[in-house]
Amino acid sequence: MRKFLLIKHYYKIKLSMKNVKIGIIIDKYHLEYKVSEFLKYLKSIAEVSLYVEESYLLNSANHFYEEDLFFVKAKGDLILGFIKLIEEETSIPVINSYKGIWNAIHRFMHSTRLRKAGILIPDYCMNPVKWSNPYESYIVKNIIDQKIYKFKPHIEEVNGKLKVSDERALNEADDYQYFLYQKFIRSKWEYKIYGIGEEQIYFHRQLPVLVNANKMESRREIDEIPELKEVAIKAMETLDLKITSIDFLKSKEGYFYLTDINCTPNFNYIKNGYKIIADYLIKSSKQ
Amino acid sequence: MKIGILSKRTTGLAGNIAKFFENKGHETKIYLLENFSIDESLFENDYYILKSKKLIYLYTGFYLKANNIPIYPDPELTYKHKNRIEAHFLIKKAGLLCPDYIYSSLNTLKEQLKTSDYPLIVKPIMGSGSRGVKKINCFEDLEGNANNILYLEQFIEGIHYVVYFIGDEICTLEKPPLSNEHVEMKEVLTTFEIEDVIKKWKNYYNLPFGHLDIVMEVNTKKIFVVDPGTFPEFTNCQPDKEPAPKICELILKNYRNGYERN
Repeated sequence: MRKFLLIKHYYKIKLSMKNVKIGIIIDKYHLEYKVSEFLKYLKSIAEVSLYVEESYLLNSANHFYEEDLFFVKAKGDLILGFIKLIEEETSIPVINSYKGIWNAIHRFMHSTRLRKAGILIPDYCMNPVKWSNPYESYIVKNIIDQKIYKFKPHIEEVNGKLKVSDERALNEADDYQYFLYQKFIRSKWEYKIYGIGEEQIYFHRQLPVLVNANKMESRREIDEIPELKEVAIKAMETLDLKITSIDFLKSKEGYFYLTDINCTPNFNYIKNGYKIIADYLIKSSKQ
Repeated sequence: MKIGILSKRTTGLAGNIAKFFENKGHETKIYLLENFSIDESLFENDYYILKSKKLIYLYTGFYLKANNIPIYPDPELTYKHKNRIEAHFLIKKAGLLCPDYIYSSLNTLKEQLKTSDYPLIVKPIMGSGSRGVKKINCFEDLEGNANNILYLEQFIEGIHYVVYFIGDEICTLEKPPLSNEHVEMKEVLTTFEIEDVIKKWKNYYNLPFGHLDIVMEVNTKKIFVVDPGTFPEFTNCQPDKEPAPKICELILKNYRNGYERN
């Protein structure tokens, strides 16, 4: 009898999960390369609809959606426009929100907001491209982290001072006429923290990408660092990000500096990441 | 008081604003693009005026606001005026009509739009005024790469106006469709309906001055707001009267109100 009740309960849960409708807002690149396991699992526990940036026609007159929740795995302009429409015209939750994605991709903005929230950020500024460098050691980053193109550093070391420029930033110099500088923090390790809701925080460590461009070679999961967990949660709350990855460097004085935040993290780097994300979305859709 | 003016140019309204404040005994500095850094050096001023909506200036505005340096107009509201999708919802929230929009790649538009969907108006997603604005009568009029994302608005057939407001004064000008604010225009009577639109807009967002581009639909006489602006040049509006003094008084009033609140 007990076994029968357990089996009945299991199918009841499966059925109720199957009724959940999740919309995935994505671009072709992520659809092709980053979410196959995730989609396979999600489709087994929910109804899934795909909205692909390159083939979706966003129409402000059409904002009737049946999904219980939207999950965003891209950050292009159309994606942002779509999220904005959903948030303005419906009550369907979107993970991550327009505010979260916008703040994450505009690097100067998230640095400003996070510092205002009391989070330790390396010194940063925006200088005209014709001006001299503001810091002895620095990294020049692209201003809006939106396109799908990788970090490609040009590195120069002079008398122990590191001057790094991301090729993306150099290529966009004509568009903005400004560079975004971040003071360089020399750190033995780069800490990669994944946040999936505030309850699930995962800690990894790797050699800094400037030391080893193949970051996965040295990446290892590590024990929770309470100080970093607190900062990660605060950063997520400040920027309204529910799913994120956050980079930290540790200075020789022992301070953790938040150097980057990502609104579309590659959750495949977490063990069973695809399942953790999918389960989180289902849980969030019921709240 | 030390006042910083974030402007692309030293001439026009920005220059006149600077002159007005200097004549009143304030110290002013105009921050042209590429002659300032966005860092603590900006904290030398007591107050900033955000005249331009270029991204670097918006970032500057956000940075100042985050560091409790008063700035007018609010950079977040200014950004929303400049992003066309954000502007669409600003207009709707104020209870005003605005055209529907489509946002999609050129490829997808080719596949999904029907002949009956045209004409449409193509606009840059970030921008204000008539720069890059064009009427599209058929698919062949659309330009760009297959994956270019284009923003298109519903075309409203009607009479185009640019309506400026400074305090309680409203100035309505009839303009050629899709033209910029500097072309020759004729001032017309501000109707009750236009006045109502302006009042709703300025009261909802507590705006002492600005402008709206509107179209009165020829068949229904309904008024659609097609473009809002936080800081126009006020060209053509009362050409014998310089708008800077009144604008500056409103800006100072805004500063004093903020100061008293804090």
